Amino acid sequence: MGQVASWAAKLCVGFGRACVLVGVTMLVPAVWAVAAVVWVWWGGNPWSLIAPVVLAAVGTFTLARPICRMIRYFVARWTGTVIPGGYLEPAPVTQMSTGYWWNGRSYSSTSKEAKEDQELANLWRDPATWRDLRFLGIAPFAIGLVAAVPPAGIALVVLAIIRPGLTMVGVLGLIAALTISPYAWRTAEPVAVRFLQPSQEQVLAERVDELTAQRADSTVAQAAEIRRIERDLHDGAQARLVALGLALATAEKLMETDPDQAKALMREARAGAATSLTELRELVQGINPPVLNERGLVDAVRALALDSPLEVTVSAAGRLTLDPPIESALYFAVAELLTNATKHARATSVRINLTRTSTLIVEVSDNGKGGASARRGGGLDGLQRRLAVFDGVCEITSPPGGPTMVRMVVPCESL
Amino acid sequence: MRILVAEDLYLLRDGMVRLIEAYGHEVVATTSTGPETLTALLELRPDVSVVDVRMPPTQSDEGLRAALAARNEVPGLPVLILSQHVEQLYARELLADGTGGIGYLLKESVFDADQFIDALERVAAGGTAMDPAVIAKLLNNRTPRLGRLTDREHEVLALMAEGLSNQAICQRLFLSESAVSKHTTALFAKLSITDDTTTNRRVLAVLAYLNKT
Repeated sequence: MGQVASWAAKLCVGFGRACVLVGVTMLVPAVWAVAAVVWVWWGGNPWSLIAPVVLAAVGTFTLARPICRMIRYFVARWTGTVIPGGYLEPAPVTQMSTGYWWNGRSYSSTSKEAKEDQELANLWRDPATWRDLRFLGIAPFAIGLVAAVPPAGIALVVLAIIRPGLTMVGVLGLIAALTISPYAWRTAEPVAVRFLQPSQEQVLAERVDELTAQRADSTVAQAAEIRRIERDLHDGAQARLVALGLALATAEKLMETDPDQAKALMREARAGAATSLTELRELVQGINPPVLNERGLVDAVRALALDSPLEVTVSAAGRLTLDPPIESALYFAVAELLTNATKHARATSVRINLTRTSTLIVEVSDNGKGGASARRGGGLDGLQRRLAVFDGVCEITSPPGGPTMVRMVVPCESL
Repeated sequence: MRILVAEDLYLLRDGMVRLIEAYGHEVVATTSTGPETLTALLELRPDVSVVDVRMPPTQSDEGLRAALAARNEVPGLPVLILSQHVEQLYARELLADGTGGIGYLLKESVFDADQFIDALERVAAGGTAMDPAVIAKLLNNRTPRLGRLTDREHEVLALMAEGLSNQAICQRLFLSESAVSKHTTALFAKLSITDDTTTNRRVLAVLAYLNKT
């Protein structure tokens, strides 16, 4: 009983989907048919060809993108296969100081004009437009005709009922409709995957854009970091060493005349040297923690856990020898997350898991009050951007009320 | 005392040797790599050795490993580890065998030459010399469980872990000698450490405390 019901449901769903696909893929042939009808009706001389050709061309062009978007939408909805669009992203339209609008290509007096001009230009320049047109040529045959079998079968049944004497045709139609319904819509997925994917060039262009943005990010961050180090050295250790030299020179002079004063100066100099060492140590800790150099990521994370005021458990699995830059990025990421757990989440215990398979996965979860999110310009946002340089991703799940779980995944097959 | 100096930077090594000799001790050898240090430690059996953590060939924790390996062979071999930075992780590893004769100090501890030599002598005698920073981190890291140690006992334990004698603890906390020994006895009882001559009770106390938190 249940099997029959589920088969019936499949049949109905399949029939519905087939009808939808016929509707979508046959739109353009319908436009062409209309154009042909207009031409015939007009008398079929060469001059009367102009209007139908214009109609067919404009219709095809305007329908191309919506139809492809619909097909992508249905394929994603029915099979879960997501096909990226890969259309050119329009450049931002900005108003210049002259009052004119610049759309990345030309100036116009209003922003509306600039946008229209840009859209039209993009339509011509975008390789995706030609890909879509090609798909329009293929779709009616590869998708439309197959999907048309069940509705056509039903149409034959209706015909047999209206005109007696065609019973045989009606029965055949019914059998065709019933058997093919659950499968008729299924050609949409392979055809769409084959012909609607963004071109290799488009994929590469997007990747280049992404990398350019990342490079800009990391160079800015690096420059800021170097400035910070320089400032710290200049105002801290360097200045102290100068003072140290001065004190020693003075002490040398005072040795003969005032030994007590000289001794006091020496003591001061020693204290100064100790302080500048402390400063340098903190600076080094911020650039590249020594324990990371000496022991690698896992032990460095263990050292972090020991220094944290929270109850931190660290577990590691797999061979965790990594490139120093990745180790450093992950170390600082974990350090930041521990600080967050202490300061913002008010957690009491944290679990850190490091797993290495074909990717490296670092999970940091706490029992705090949650509600963490990567605000633009915030710490977590910076963390995501730093990991992006290594094609790493950082997923944050932190519902209000906690617990917070941050999962960092860095691909590292090549290491 | 016969002292071994293991340090890869010439300036520091030279300074250290001069300082040690100025105090009338003998430097039996100097080494500048991990493997060299290990063989020298095992062959010469110095009364105490001063070992830098980071050394060639790998520039990782070679010195620390050499010291740990040597102490594995010869339990209680006195070693004073010097480093530019102190890590709890390393301190725990050094204390783990509970035999004493171990020191772990920041390099600038040599600025106060008297104290540095004093630390060397303590380690040579089987005691401990731990940097206050690392001990503070070790002991104040977790909130101690209720009903375990009193605040006073905690203070005494911290100073004990640094390697101070009862007498020095008295001076530091302005207590009478009898009060301090009362606290230490209470400490040993609370951490259930029995009187055993082969191990260092003071190190064991710190270890026991760490393992219970």
